[in-house]
Amino acid sequence: MNVVEIENVTKTFGRFTAVNALSLVVPQGSIYGFIGPNGSGKTTTLRMIMRIYHPDPGPGRIRVLGETHQTAADDRVGYLPEERGLYKKMKVRDILRFYAELKGCRDFKGRVNIWLERMGLSEWADKKVEVLSKGMAQKVQFISAVIAGPQLVILDEPFTGLDPVNADVLREAVLDLRRNGSTVIFSTHDMAVAEKMCDLIFMIYKGNKVLDGTLESIQERYGTDTLRVRIEGNGFDCRTIPGVEKVTDFGKFQELRISQETDTQDVLEELMRHGRVTHFELTTPSLHDIFVRIASPEPKDIHQPVAREPVHA
Amino acid sequence: MRKMIVVAMREYAAAVKTKAFILSLVLMPIMMGGSIFVQMIMRDKVDTAAKRIAVVDYSGRLFEPIKAKADARNENDASDKQVKGIFEERDGVRTQVQPRYLFERIEPAEADPNQTLLELSNRVRSKEFFAFVVIPADVLDAKGDRPGTPVQYYSNSPTYDDIQDWLVPPVNESVQSARIQSAQLDPKTLKAVTERVWVGNLGLVSLDAGGQVTKAEATNKIANFFVPMGAMMLMFMVVMVGASPLVQSVLEEKMQRIAEVLLGSVSPFSLMMGKLLGMVGVSLTIATVYLVGAFLALQYAGYASFFPVHIVWWFVLFQALAVLMYGALFIAIGAAVSDLKEAQSMMTPVMLIVVAPMFVWVNVVREPLSTMSTVFSLIPPATPMLMVMRQAIPPGIPLWQPLVGVVGVILATLACVFIAGRIFRVGILMQGKGAKVGEMMRWVFRG
Repeated sequence: MNVVEIENVTKTFGRFTAVNALSLVVPQGSIYGFIGPNGSGKTTTLRMIMRIYHPDPGPGRIRVLGETHQTAADDRVGYLPEERGLYKKMKVRDILRFYAELKGCRDFKGRVNIWLERMGLSEWADKKVEVLSKGMAQKVQFISAVIAGPQLVILDEPFTGLDPVNADVLREAVLDLRRNGSTVIFSTHDMAVAEKMCDLIFMIYKGNKVLDGTLESIQERYGTDTLRVRIEGNGFDCRTIPGVEKVTDFGKFQELRISQETDTQDVLEELMRHGRVTHFELTTPSLHDIFVRIASPEPKDIHQPVAREPVHA
Repeated sequence: MRKMIVVAMREYAAAVKTKAFILSLVLMPIMMGGSIFVQMIMRDKVDTAAKRIAVVDYSGRLFEPIKAKADARNENDASDKQVKGIFEERDGVRTQVQPRYLFERIEPAEADPNQTLLELSNRVRSKEFFAFVVIPADVLDAKGDRPGTPVQYYSNSPTYDDIQDWLVPPVNESVQSARIQSAQLDPKTLKAVTERVWVGNLGLVSLDAGGQVTKAEATNKIANFFVPMGAMMLMFMVVMVGASPLVQSVLEEKMQRIAEVLLGSVSPFSLMMGKLLGMVGVSLTIATVYLVGAFLALQYAGYASFFPVHIVWWFVLFQALAVLMYGALFIAIGAAVSDLKEAQSMMTPVMLIVVAPMFVWVNVVREPLSTMSTVFSLIPPATPMLMVMRQAIPPGIPLWQPLVGVVGVILATLACVFIAGRIFRVGILMQGKGAKVGEMMRWVFRG
């Protein structure tokens, strides 16, 4: 069963097309990651799923949890808007209780305590939201989205502003939600998080869907055109090697994108002539790399319809 | 419905549980009563140092009577109606509450009157005298016409007019008795002839249970003026305190994206109504505190009978409707704008409507039964304040008027809530620039 079905939906604001003819299916029990550059339509899509925004009139439709009704109010859906969403002057416990009651949740008392405990916020339960750090407020907001045990959880940038420890706490909580049968959709800028957590990844760029599927299926589309190398020596510029199209320097190692017809052995040979090669790996491009390829295409790619077809079919 | 109540409870708690609310609840009467209290204290804190006043009496006949009056004043109690002295009985102690006036005759040293004026002016400047008075030789022949004011009071303190005022009776008494003498009239007859008659101010009489005509009650300023004014002011205050915070509250929900979360749980209309009900609760809380406070204060002062018990329910009804009516407008503003500055400029016209009754209330309180007052009090935005005020003025108004008023206000409230609902639904989720009035109209009419 699919929790969300979006069919051919367009959303414009004035002359600006935020989302263009989008179709997307979110299966039940999955964790779906939405990625894309700022302003590409992620939040608009999330809001349409929330029914905060309604798509432009047309053939398109959105079905959430089997229903196509127009109002946002749905107790089975939990939502965390980007960064904000809390009353500054309210105490943490009061605001969680308020959101739980609003979702029609009656046994909120125990739930609030369990969640506060779990998120390490027990000491802050009677503090006002305004005194919380950004990370703590983010956790409070997350609790308020999931406290009523929703079937579908929509999180807009839940990991922004969290330190690694808190990010781990939150990741565990999200994975737990899935274990308990909830479906989670979240947007993120952190490609590592998306790679590690998401069953399915959706990338939107300038309002168009450019990627959709499992990480493996996405990487497959891009083929094994990436070499990850580490070379000791005097800062040799790998770009001089014939057949290398792009070099991304990660400091410890470098990622080389090679053209289709290049033989990797030739590249290795060339590298060995310039220094001691301690790592040489033929791999699929990382999500990060794919993201960058789509979002900042090199000059030669600009006129290609990047959005529609893989670089290497 | 349950969710609406959850929203209302939060709104109520958010408004009432703040220190600012409790503080303003306490401070408002303190500030109002305090200014009266301070005035009462300050009235007693006058400078009681004696004031020396030089008198140049060219007539030679006025100084003595003035001096005699001043001496009597300097030694007598204020309770002495004849003299009006400067002492008061305070906690059993005779206390001086006004300065003594010490008049001293000065013989003009110079032949030139202008030189005398200059010399005395300089002595006032050097603080030897507080002021000086010049009485012309022909003062007793003076007519009452203003241009040739015969007696002149010179001082360096033009705003201190106590002495000047005090001088009028002794001067006039002397002048009058001189005139009476020269006209050869009998002072006693004259006094009897010119005795003043007062006009009393009474309410109307009616038949009591026994068929007897009741005695008319002397009207009372507290009942006729201060109680109606207090009722109107209280109405104004609870509407302001109850309704206007909604602008900020909605704006916060909009800007902090709280609205998006809320609308994932409640419908926009329930959210708006919840907020309105919460604020009705807040305003009722304030009204209860002040009505009980006013009752206790009146009772303490022995005026409990002036507390307008018969209009309390009307007051509460009108107040709840007024908060709904104005609150809806303020919610619409909060939803349509994108920051406080925009909100402020949008609020101005609504505020003008709220305070409009303030411009006419004096006329209404003077003539509560006039056609104009009736018409004003039936215009829905003004009804809550003016109708309650008119009801508070004895003997009250016909029952149909508040009934028609309530119906009008209910209709206006429904219209405001409807319009606000339309604007709220769209505006609350709109980010970026605030809406223009034309845009808001479109939201209202297209639905």
